[in-house]
Amino acid sequence: MQPTHTRLDDPAKTDSQTLLDVKDLKTHFFTDEGVVKAVDGVNLSLKRGETLCVVGESGCGKSVTARSILRIVPNPGQIVSGEINFQQRDGEAIDLARMNPKGREIRKIRGGEISMIFQEPMSSLSPVHTIGSQIMEAILLHLPVSRQEARKRAVSMLDLVGIPRPSEQLDAYSFELSGGMRQRAMIAIALACEPQLLIADEPTTALDVTTQANILDLIRDLQQDSGMAVLFITHDLGVVAEIADEVVVMYLGRDVESGDVDAIFHDAKHPYTRALLQSIPRYDSRENRRLYSIKGTVPHPFARPHGCPFHPRCDDFIAERCNSIDPPRHKLSQSHSVRCLLYSAADEAPPKEDALS
Amino acid sequence: MNSESEVMPGDSSIEPLLEVRNLHMQFPIRRGAFRRTVGFVKAVNDVSFHIRQGETLSLVGESGCGKTTTGRCIVRVYEPTSGQILYKAEEQERIDLAELDNRDLRPFRREIRMIFQDPFSSLNPRLSILQIVGESLKVNRVASGSELEDRVASLLRRVGLRPEYIRRYPHAFSGGERQRIGIARALALNPRLIVADEAVSALDVSVQAQILNLLQDLQEELNLTYLFIAHDLSVVEHISHRVAVMYVGKIVELATTEDLFTNPLHPYTEALLSAVPKPDPRLRHKGVRIRLEGEVADPSNPPSGCYFHPRCPYAEDRCLHEEPAVREIENDRWVACHFAEELDLRGFEAIG
Repeated sequence: MQPTHTRLDDPAKTDSQTLLDVKDLKTHFFTDEGVVKAVDGVNLSLKRGETLCVVGESGCGKSVTARSILRIVPNPGQIVSGEINFQQRDGEAIDLARMNPKGREIRKIRGGEISMIFQEPMSSLSPVHTIGSQIMEAILLHLPVSRQEARKRAVSMLDLVGIPRPSEQLDAYSFELSGGMRQRAMIAIALACEPQLLIADEPTTALDVTTQANILDLIRDLQQDSGMAVLFITHDLGVVAEIADEVVVMYLGRDVESGDVDAIFHDAKHPYTRALLQSIPRYDSRENRRLYSIKGTVPHPFARPHGCPFHPRCDDFIAERCNSIDPPRHKLSQSHSVRCLLYSAADEAPPKEDALS
Repeated sequence: MNSESEVMPGDSSIEPLLEVRNLHMQFPIRRGAFRRTVGFVKAVNDVSFHIRQGETLSLVGESGCGKTTTGRCIVRVYEPTSGQILYKAEEQERIDLAELDNRDLRPFRREIRMIFQDPFSSLNPRLSILQIVGESLKVNRVASGSELEDRVASLLRRVGLRPEYIRRYPHAFSGGERQRIGIARALALNPRLIVADEAVSALDVSVQAQILNLLQDLQEELNLTYLFIAHDLSVVEHISHRVAVMYVGKIVELATTEDLFTNPLHPYTEALLSAVPKPDPRLRHKGVRIRLEGEVADPSNPPSGCYFHPRCPYAEDRCLHEEPAVREIENDRWVACHFAEELDLRGFEAIG
């Protein structure tokens, strides 16, 4: 676990405001056909009360990153190196990457300090237990309360997430609720023990726009009241623009660019980030009806390109360099960093127009 | 839309390729030991619209609004409960597809094709690309043997796939490539109308951009007509000439893309537009988001009067009792709201 990118890692960085600090995380899957490097050197850090969005296309490793933090990576996946430093409620910092994924300690953290909500509420809620019993299970596991108190708390949680007639709905099963209400119920379970960090893995992807808007509002309101941090995983750049404070863009298991939301949308540096922004249909793009599209496809996981993983699809590809040198993380400003040889060479940012204009 | 389209597909003098009149599709709800019918889900409830040759009409709405059922009625996967689906075949009188039985439908099945949402479940994993794309050519005795192979190869080239892949199986392709295979299959018999049911919803943004460009290119080259069923409004805005908004089995508004997005006339359209996340953080706190209260109405037990009234911020007494008819407010602009003229609703730009 040698830090390969010394430029970023000054020891004073982990101040008390930083809740989660992931350093050079690598999660690989050891399959019969070979090793899939799903996450291959991800760095991200999240402050208390902040929302960090991880964006990228399918297969970029964003979900595996989230699962690595909670140590619920499915077999045959393993964290092979890296650190996941998490500031516990009592002030003690721990490295989640070193924990036994089946041990007592991590189970205290799951649901208690870090909670997760998933994309498909129908398949992540139990169909044979009532919503109430699933919320109470979380409460009884983590808090020293009686069943009666747990029930009371469950009702107030359902009320908090905006489920109408909460004391009746407590005895409802997940299939009796609509998609939006199910997602609210899942948020209620996740928040029942007032976690410090909520990991939301594509929580609105399966929902309609109107329901999505309501759920995003809900997450934002709850965050404002409780001060929890949110790690939000999505592929939808519209959602990112709505809720993110900080953004990490991932490609093939790497963070290729990270920065605050305004920098990512208005001063994107990495060719992949720019390309992503240009491929979304926009209301003001009346003149040119053709969308920009990135050439080629995401490479097969067993055939990772050498050097920069994006170079075969990149418009700004520099021959001899991009296909041989692995670009280091380069800090452009306090919060903005990029992994691209266009910038790390001699700070010679090529004059490129704003991706939005 | 851009200027050229105003002359071409927007021209109302062209006779529509397809006209749907008062389409109803009801699914029975059966209960008990004798499977007695206890009610009906009115999935499509009195829907009328038309599509002109070379045009893209989008159907939008939330899940369960009946947009997919409407599409499936048109390709006659379902037999509609009532209503007409008038199709104008080349050099023929208009024919009501809703009346035809399976045998009489056969010639029209070649002309009206479908592209599906999920590129993973809509291709048979045990058939090669040659078999998948070539099946309809073979069944219709259009080509066989080496001619079939040539035809499939040229179809693959047309959708941007390499013809060398002809003997591969679907598992060897990515999501975007599979969607291209689905498009090649739909194009095999030179169709005139393509019903694209959420054709890009399951794809990543960069792949989605490729497929949208492909669909637009094909439309231009082959003068295809699309019925585009989608829930993503920015995609709909990008690809459509006209848009129909559906709510609980009914069309509540139908207009050209430009009119609908800049100047919606139905409160539901306004709410939908306001819910679309704008891909620019600087617009975050600008404009008002309309929060729709409550849930989409149950299509087996819809509310009285206007179906949207329980969630509508502008609802008045009249909306509770009187169902608004779909009326043509301006030329080619339809809306089902009592107060369409009085309300001043916000469009896309005003919010953003």
